[in-house]
Order: sequence, then C-alpha cells, then structure tokens
Amino acid sequence: MDEHKTLYIKNAIGLAILTILEVGISYIDISRTSQIVLLMAFACTKMMMVAWVYMHVQHETKTLKWILFIPIPAGILFAAALMYDIPFRWVV
Amino acid sequence: MSQNTSFVVPANDPFGKATNGKLGMWLLIIVDGLSFSGLLIAGAALRASSTSWPVAGEVLNIPLTAFNTFLLICTSFTMVMALNSIQHGNSKGLKKYLFYTLLGGVIFLGIQIYEYYHLIESGFTISSSMYASIFYVTTCFHGLHVLSGVIYITCILWQAMKEKYSADNWDHVEILGLFWHFVDLVWILVFTIIYLV
Repeated sequence: MDEHKTLYIKNAIGLAILTILEVGISYIDISRTSQIVLLMAFACTKMMMVAWVYMHVQHETKTLKWILFIPIPAGILFAAALMYDIPFRWVV
Repeated sequence: MSQNTSFVVPANDPFGKATNGKLGMWLLIIVDGLSFSGLLIAGAALRASSTSWPVAGEVLNIPLTAFNTFLLICTSFTMVMALNSIQHGNSKGLKKYLFYTLLGGVIFLGIQIYEYYHLIESGFTISSSMYASIFYVTTCFHGLHVLSGVIYITCILWQAMKEKYSADNWDHVEILGLFWHFVDLVWILVFTIIYLV
C-alpha cells in the first residue's frame, strides 16, 4: 500500500480513538479541573494531528509554519485579557 | 516596447513552492481561526462570570454529536485521499473520494438540523439562556462553514467530472482540502468546548 495512505489511515484511526476517549472522560467521575485539562489536551492533540498530517503543515517552509502559529498566542492573549477583565466587570 | 512578463520565484522564497491561491487560503484560515477563537473565548468568559451553568450532557445529545465528529474525521480522510489520488494521476479516485467527502458533509449538516429541530421542540431556543445563545451562534457559524465547504466541493467535483485535474494540475484540490481540514479542525475544538467541557 502507498506509504502516505497508510499514514492517513493511522491518523484517522488515532483521531477516532481520541474522540471516543474524550467522550468517555466527559462521563467519568473525576475533578472538574482534571476533566477540563484532559479534554483540552486531547482536543489540542487532535487538532495538531489534522494540521500536521492532513493539512501537510509538516512539509511547509519554516516561515509559513511561524505565520500559521500566530493565532495560538493571539488567542491565548485574548483569553487572558478577557478573563482578567471578569472581576472588574460590574465595577462602575 | 517589449516587456518580460514572466515571474521567476527566487530560490530562497520563504513560502517555497506554495502558490498564491494556497497562501490566500492559509490567510483566510488564520483570520477565520481568530473569528472562532473570539466566539469560543467570549463564551468561556461569559461562563466564567456566570453563577450557574447547565451540564451539556443533560441538554445536548452527546452520542449523536460524537458520531457527527467521527463522520467529519472520516471526511478529512477521504479529502486527503482525493488529493493523494490526483497526485498519482488517478482521476477516478479523485472523483470517488470527493463524492464521499461531499456525502459526509451533507450528512453532517442533516444531523445538525435534526439536532436543532429536537432542541427547539424541547424549548431550548437561542433566547432560552446564555448557554443556548453561545451554543447556537457557535455551532451555526461552524455549520455555515460546512455548507460553504459542501458548495466548494460540489464546484471542484464538477470540474473533476470535466477532467480538469491531472497529476500535474491539482492545486485547486489542495486548496479545497486546506479549507475542509480547517472546518474539521475547528469542529474538534467546538465539540470539546461546547459539548464536553
């Protein structure tokens, strides 16, 4: 079988297994913080798998990889700014 | 006066062999990614400042949406296989896998409409609560992306039927693939944050 095809199949199986595990984690009785950390870690892993293998980011140049990285710190900064704002929201 | 209109890509081009179309799609993906981040982060901020928040599993049908997630993952596989096929000059494979991807996208939308219908019937409407508003706005925004993708796939499939693509000409299929994988990638995050967390 074509080498790429094998990688794509393995990636799809990996993504399906992680999805099943994610749904399982949402039902098991563990602390809320552990649940959120685990679910977000699984989601980030799955997103990386899609981008790296299916979107062929692994074959892009270094410059393009850095540009594609921009939304991640931008999103984290936006989230941090909004969360920081919450305690002061009702202060006039 | 004659002009040399040919454009030579410099050897140290920072974007390698990426075409303008591909770079344009990456730019769209970055901007769209930030739009989705805005929606999801705003939802998280509202949730953090709220005193009570419903448990998603008690309101939403998680097994059905998990199936939908699995379906979207499968369409990402069929999409990358469509590109792989035409890169090897297999036009029949391109058409076959594009059709499977299109079918998957249509089923995904059908299941989402079915979900909305039952939720609205049970009184869970966009104005029911803050959670309902976030749920409908985010999933509808994603659904519109899937719909755009389905229309986009139909256009490329139509061109493929006319044998426009070959082993030397598959740029449009690659650009379509980038968009479709992005739709899948975003759904992974939407599913986790809206349905599971």
